[in-house]
Amino acid sequence: MTRVEGDFPVHFRYTVGIAAEKFLREIKDNGRLIGGRCAKCEIIYMPPRIYCERCMTTIEEYVNVENTGTVESCTSCHRDSNGEALISPTMVALVRFNHTHGGIVHYVHGDVVIGDKVRAIFKEKSQRTGSILDIAYFERI
Amino acid sequence: MVSKTSPAGTALSENDLEQRVLTVMYHPRAKYAWATGIAISKFLGGLKEGRILGSKCDRCGRTVVPPRVFCEYCFRHSDSYLELPDSGTLNTYSVSYISTDTTRLRVPIIPAVIEIDGTDKAGFLHILGEINPDMIKIGMKVKAVWKPSSERQGSITDIHHFKPLGE
Repeated sequence: MTRVEGDFPVHFRYTVGIAAEKFLREIKDNGRLIGGRCAKCEIIYMPPRIYCERCMTTIEEYVNVENTGTVESCTSCHRDSNGEALISPTMVALVRFNHTHGGIVHYVHGDVVIGDKVRAIFKEKSQRTGSILDIAYFERI
Repeated sequence: MVSKTSPAGTALSENDLEQRVLTVMYHPRAKYAWATGIAISKFLGGLKEGRILGSKCDRCGRTVVPPRVFCEYCFRHSDSYLELPDSGTLNTYSVSYISTDTTRLRVPIIPAVIEIDGTDKAGFLHILGEINPDMIKIGMKVKAVWKPSSERQGSITDIHHFKPLGE
């Protein structure tokens, strides 16, 4: 039996969009998190969206959100996204923030369990590039 | 932020993408391996030897290429594999000025479906060569041009292209 091997040479360039652009620039320039607030539903989306998912109203108001949150879910990863073994396991968590809807999946340093309070640790300003990785990791408070 | 932030969409130029808006670059490692199966394994092994192999069903008498492990009409196992001529008839073709990776071509490639002689209008997709696109006629006789045996590796590209059989 024979096999055929191949590769798909696909390259993506994804524009983060209006709301995520504001979100990432706030992290890059000011080391702060922002969400988007729907004036009608009074819900804050974090990360922000340009539409309210509930009433479809355009969101125009951006508000600061505390950089502390709660671990909603966490996983200890032993392989990277290509399936290669990691030298040491990496903790990844979904972090939600008080009074907001949504959350961020990011790296967490140290062992955490569901319900732990964590804080975003930002990279040095000179190191930031406007990426979600400008948050270096979350750490338990 | 760039220009107007209209919910209906924001037009972005190449320059915007390079310098003004945040983007995420991503290059997935999308490798794959595909087991060729019993019949196609024989077919590819045949190509390496410079032979085109088909399969035959004794019940309906139909010969097909590439070979199959079962007859699609009778739904029973194929009875035999047999060597076919490396000539055939042009079923359809396309003159393409765009390559498989979407780059523009000055000299077009001509993908074509070739019905292999000795089969019941069975055949496969390949490339036509050594012909001016204006001279191509559906129904014309064509013949395989093989790569040298040292370069063949058990692939459909072991046939370099099909050329007109001559008038």
